[in-house]
Amino acid sequence: VIRCRAAVAWAPGKPLSVEEVEVAHPKAGEVRIKIVATGICSTDDHVRQGSFPNAEFPVIPGHEGAGIVESVGEGVTSMKPGDKVIPLCIPHCGECSYCLNPEANFCQKSHMCEPQNLLPDKTSRFTCKGKLIHHFLWISTFAEYTVVPEYAVAKIDAAAPLDKVCLFGCAFSTGYGAAINTAKVKPGSTCAIFGLGGVGLSVVIGCKAAGASRIIAVDINKDKFAKAKELGATECINPRDFNKPIQEVLTEMTGQAVDYSFEVIGKAETMIAALASCNMNTGICVMVGELDSGSEISIDPMLLLTGRTWKGTVLGGFKARESIPKLVSSYLEKKFNPEPLITHTLPFAKVNEGFELLRAGK
Amino acid sequence: LCDDLKMQVPFPFSLLCLQVIKCKAAVLWEANKPFSIEEVEVAPPKEHEVRIKIMATGICRSDDHVVTGALVMPFPVILGHEAAGVVESVGQGVTSVKPGDKVIPLFVPQCGKCQSCLNAKGNLCSKTDLGTGAGLMADGTTRFTCKGKAVHHFLGTSTFTEYTVVHESGVAKIDSAAPLEKVCLIGCGFSTGYGAALQTAKVEPGSTCAIFGLGGVGLSVVIGCKAAGASRIIAVDINKDKFAKAKELGATDCINPKDFKKPIHEVLIEMTGQGVDYSFEVIGHTDTMTAALASCQLNYGVSVIVGVPPAAQNITFDPMLLFTGRSWKGSVFGGWKSKDSVPKLVADYMKKKFVLDPLITHTLPWTKINEGFDLLRTGK
Repeated sequence: VIRCRAAVAWAPGKPLSVEEVEVAHPKAGEVRIKIVATGICSTDDHVRQGSFPNAEFPVIPGHEGAGIVESVGEGVTSMKPGDKVIPLCIPHCGECSYCLNPEANFCQKSHMCEPQNLLPDKTSRFTCKGKLIHHFLWISTFAEYTVVPEYAVAKIDAAAPLDKVCLFGCAFSTGYGAAINTAKVKPGSTCAIFGLGGVGLSVVIGCKAAGASRIIAVDINKDKFAKAKELGATECINPRDFNKPIQEVLTEMTGQAVDYSFEVIGKAETMIAALASCNMNTGICVMVGELDSGSEISIDPMLLLTGRTWKGTVLGGFKARESIPKLVSSYLEKKFNPEPLITHTLPFAKVNEGFELLRAGK
Repeated sequence: LCDDLKMQVPFPFSLLCLQVIKCKAAVLWEANKPFSIEEVEVAPPKEHEVRIKIMATGICRSDDHVVTGALVMPFPVILGHEAAGVVESVGQGVTSVKPGDKVIPLFVPQCGKCQSCLNAKGNLCSKTDLGTGAGLMADGTTRFTCKGKAVHHFLGTSTFTEYTVVHESGVAKIDSAAPLEKVCLIGCGFSTGYGAALQTAKVEPGSTCAIFGLGGVGLSVVIGCKAAGASRIIAVDINKDKFAKAKELGATDCINPKDFKKPIHEVLIEMTGQGVDYSFEVIGHTDTMTAALASCQLNYGVSVIVGVPPAAQNITFDPMLLFTGRSWKGSVFGGWKSKDSVPKLVADYMKKKFVLDPLITHTLPWTKINEGFDLLRTGK
């Protein structure tokens, strides 16, 4: 058993508590990982607030991390201690019908199909002050050490800088994939991206890599614009600068509305605005941001009837275990650069400060 | 008679061309009233317009939506948009059809020049009257008058009349051997459903499909899914009298939501293990639109909205349905570029690639139009 620090969410709505926890030895088919770097994603904040579906408290959140294998359980063959790895927020068992379907990436072992608050044998590897602490999506990267099933870990290039590639665990892959895999942005097309956090900026990178001719970044926080431009946005607009709905602004700017729109925030009104901003007959809108659990959206079906396509995407449509190592390699080959997505680097003990920065839009 | 006669026309038609025609039409004077068979005056076609003698017309639910006020259009109006006929005369500048040609009017035109027409995937030509619903020809006037009043057009077609005038971009010349009383369906119902499966959803061989609603359009979706090689075609309707035809056209299973205690999407998920690859809502009700969405596979399923919902009614749904990876799309006229596709669909029919007869439930003389609508409304 390893004793180490972890940020525990004891109850919904409370700040995370940095505690000493016990992390058990990996069982058969499991891997214990020393987490070297982890990102903070809005989804982790949803967990902390209690609005992530089927999460259970107390829990160690965090799902965007990178680390080094510390030990492996019996039967693990694809990695060994010392390997650099990224734990996967969507597993990739390789056997279920989704893993076998080339178009799908939503492994049946993932949380939406079956809660991942405990490992497959229905027990947890974490305890704190004598209590069982739940996993989050199995991986719980807000812990110095975590234990994860082998098929929810991807082995990556030994040269990868862990403090940068943790982003491939979630934000970068989600946004970049939304553009490349889900929307399948075509060269010369026009795109609009609502929300310029880590994931939104990754969508910008994806649209640029795909050769879009116009990449219109939309955010109510103009401090986000500089980075968006640096990463490829051709124009940045702030809905608060206009008297009319943003979809009308976008339709006027482009003449016929955009070919592809992305909502990367997680709010019903921007989801509808993003849908209405894409061309009524040929436009594609991708829902990347996740709404609070239990909420509903209400739309006029004519928005779809005229020919629009509205799709969702998880982890950018990537089959996690195959794709994440390739994305890391492409990064090392300098095919794209997600480093501007990193706004602050903080020591682990300052995790709550990190959340405050996230909430303040920094 | 004027100079334009030089451009004209085989003998039987020359007497009528450029003259006003007096004929019968079914006029709808206001909402929620029966159609009134009236004598109307149909003006000659202006530049780029075509006057057509309508030989057969179908009744579509969308026509009924105007009667009930669910689809708001200006009154008085001559409805009908699914028809086939013969060109009677053409206005100046018309080159793609001539008097005597068999034609199908197109409620979604194809001008060939606007951004939608130029886009390989687009089919919603900017000349369509679907958005504005003004009910007028391009010059802002109507070609119909009745009892001294101007009568509006409907979606650039107006086929509940012996003669109509349409814009050249809204009419397609078809095979001269085509039986007009069958191919009128290609003007709307058949193409909309068949295209929803082949063009919009792009159903793949071996896949599973669920079709909600087995009217003319729903049955056309069944035909399309079958043509695409789907392995399971599950037809869903609360009226079991619809099942026999659905099976004849290719449905492998027919289910009635009223036979189950649990929501229909749960039934479909259980039947298929994970939900269908493709689902289609071909009714126009917001709750079945959501059920159809939830019935398709959560990570790669595609759901198509084909049915036209009543104006101003919203769908309310849980966005997680989309978030996990589903695609939700809609299409008008099956996604077909109208003027290009209609002649080809007629040609395919002539080559027996698909049948249309089962879609025709009744054939009535058109003076019995109100009875036709009663049959539609009672699910017959």
